[in-house]
Amino acid sequence: MIRAVGARLLQAALVAMAVGVACFLMVRLLPGDMAYRVAAGRYGMDHVNTAAAEAVRAELGLDRPWWQLLGAWLGDLARFDLGVSLVSGDRVVEELSVYLGHTLLLAVVALLLSALVGPPIGVLLAMRPGSAADRTGLAVGAVLRAVPAFVIGLVLMMVFAVQLGWLPAAGVGGWREVVLPATTLAIGLAAVSSRVARDAMVAVAQAPYLAFARTKGLPEGAVIRRHALRNAAVPVTAYLGVQLVTLVEGVVIVETLFAWPGIGHALVHAVVARDVPMVQGTALAMGLIFVALNGAVDLACLAIDPRRRRPA
Amino acid sequence: MTMLALDEVAVHGPQGRIVAPATLRVEPGVPLVILGETGSGKSLLAQAVMGTLPAELHATGAIRLGADALPARDTAGRRALWGRTLAMLPQEPWAALDPTMPAMPQVAEVPRFVAGLPWPAARRAAAAALAAVGLAPAERRFPFQLSGGMCQRVALAATRIAGAPVLLADEPTKGLDAALRDSVAALLAEEVARGATLLVITHDIALARALGGELAVMLEGEIVEQGPVARVLAAPEHPYTRRLLAAEPEAWAPWPHRPAGAAVVEGEGLAKRYGPQRLFTGIDLALGAGEVVALTGPSGTGKSTLGNMLLGLVPPDAGTVRRRGGLSAFALQKLYQDPLAAFAPAMTLGDALAAVIRRHRLDPVLATRLRDRLRLAPALLARRPDQVSGGELQRFALLRALLLDPALLFADEPTSRLDLVTQAEVMELLREVVAETGMALLLVTHDAAMAGKVARRGMALRPETGGA
Repeated sequence: MIRAVGARLLQAALVAMAVGVACFLMVRLLPGDMAYRVAAGRYGMDHVNTAAAEAVRAELGLDRPWWQLLGAWLGDLARFDLGVSLVSGDRVVEELSVYLGHTLLLAVVALLLSALVGPPIGVLLAMRPGSAADRTGLAVGAVLRAVPAFVIGLVLMMVFAVQLGWLPAAGVGGWREVVLPATTLAIGLAAVSSRVARDAMVAVAQAPYLAFARTKGLPEGAVIRRHALRNAAVPVTAYLGVQLVTLVEGVVIVETLFAWPGIGHALVHAVVARDVPMVQGTALAMGLIFVALNGAVDLACLAIDPRRRRPA
Repeated sequence: MTMLALDEVAVHGPQGRIVAPATLRVEPGVPLVILGETGSGKSLLAQAVMGTLPAELHATGAIRLGADALPARDTAGRRALWGRTLAMLPQEPWAALDPTMPAMPQVAEVPRFVAGLPWPAARRAAAAALAAVGLAPAERRFPFQLSGGMCQRVALAATRIAGAPVLLADEPTKGLDAALRDSVAALLAEEVARGATLLVITHDIALARALGGELAVMLEGEIVEQGPVARVLAAPEHPYTRRLLAAEPEAWAPWPHRPAGAAVVEGEGLAKRYGPQRLFTGIDLALGAGEVVALTGPSGTGKSTLGNMLLGLVPPDAGTVRRRGGLSAFALQKLYQDPLAAFAPAMTLGDALAAVIRRHRLDPVLATRLRDRLRLAPALLARRPDQVSGGELQRFALLRALLLDPALLFADEPTSRLDLVTQAEVMELLREVVAETGMALLLVTHDAAMAGKVARRGMALRPETGGA
């Protein structure tokens, strides 16, 4: 337990380091003069000229050697100082805290939705493996998994926002705005988790401990409730850790599509504006969300499966 | 007191009859043991009685329990009796217990759901049942924290707690070593003494001998011989029963031994631990040319690890392993416990052998001669590993190892997955090969009788007391 948390904390530190360096290098490697891009972000495309760009360059010290810039960023990071946005001049931490709240809301709602839909469907399909419903489920799951998130998002938007007018197509506010982006993310997650749950349940159904639970004389309901579900939950929960990649990736696309002011949205804008501290800050936040959620999955696995609790 | 009777019970599959109609009678207090090999249909007969046949099979005939007669086809009617009247001790109890639930609730749920007791009363009943098999301290432990024998006793407590008078046990000693086998036999004998009606399915002659009572011998879906255990084992009438008894290691002729030649491999001061678990320390073991050494001991004492260490597959934590000068690593070969896991599943056996011949530039003629020597028909080469019998596949594994003309063969429980008669055949071949080639043989086995007949000297590993 403590070991698991400790390992994740160490991983968080390594992720922070790696993300910081990688972002720094990638932004430098992008084509175009950084000073021009920052100036464009600040004053608008039409007001950029060489003088404005040079002013930005001098102010931000962009003409320093790269290793000095990198060293300064890592030093600040060690003091938990993410710096100020090159564009808005606000502190990155403050901007992030606003975006982060939105992203967490979206991610949590999407995870809950997918957990309510995916595994139960998988368990139901597992009751009759090879049946027409099971094969249909496989086909639908495969299609939904293959379709990129932005296509699912666009279809949902066209049907529920444009055609039916039930829900807003974009923006942030009450629960109505969350529904479409969260559903977009949840569909991709549930398409996979339903298959994992289905396969896990079919495997558990053939396990000797389920046969023994029956010959002990337990009624079928008790067999499923007490022995099948918990054992099937082990691989489903473990796989959730893998799925989080999809979630973090999906957040960037879905937030941009639905103009949802979260971390992913901020990341895209920061990249366009070459706002290095913001790029680093958003990427760092996403990396740490990933580590934190993975840590939560680890703890959930420990809670479900006693075999993992044995001292190594 | 309920007697169990089978009236013309047969099992049919999509391709026709698998088990011929069997008429058997089990009285309370006198166990009936059905003895047979894998594929003889003995487990199907037990499943037909219990009503747990796979969906594609069905049973005919009738099952009588005391005064009630039930059609064998009516599985739903049987299910209503599970736990209360008809109970079944599962095969391999470590797999039959839910890995995510402690021992106590796995027992307590039976009185809770079968007898309808409230949870506190069910838990008290389970605590008493576990205490009765000496497991009171293990109530809160999970199956992976229990030994094989403890799992066996938890399973027995859960099977017996609802008080079913009729008990079926399907291969209750499968995968157990001799000491555990004896304790299972004692537990079952106790149930019989208390008046249980016990039907045991097994391939294990020693278990039948220990239980006493009646014996039925099954071959290819038919009961070929029947009678009191003592009489059938002492004076078998059917040729198959005689063959079976002759295949027991106790009945083998001891292997002749030549003086050992120069050392092939020498291990000195070997030690190994996995995490906090110390397997062994300070082991010295050397094998000379032509020498046969048996390595015995309970599971988990590091027998396989020690063998792998001599082969150079596992580095020792301490100590040294020396190969005789001039011997390549390929001169030390291994025969694995599960031959199916030792072959690539999608490759035909012919291709698998051809790959070895190509890799080591061997003479295909010699390979063919060796294959004939091991009595493997050429037709088998076109098949995949899962399309031949276990005995044939283990002989292919032996062939593959012998192709490289090994100076030492490490055979890691090579026959533990084979039937008695097949085991005797494979071991006889191994004896001939050792005599002809003069290779050294290191045999890991948990069968003390086999070790005694085969080896010139033995080494027994014991559980280390140190570590956690």
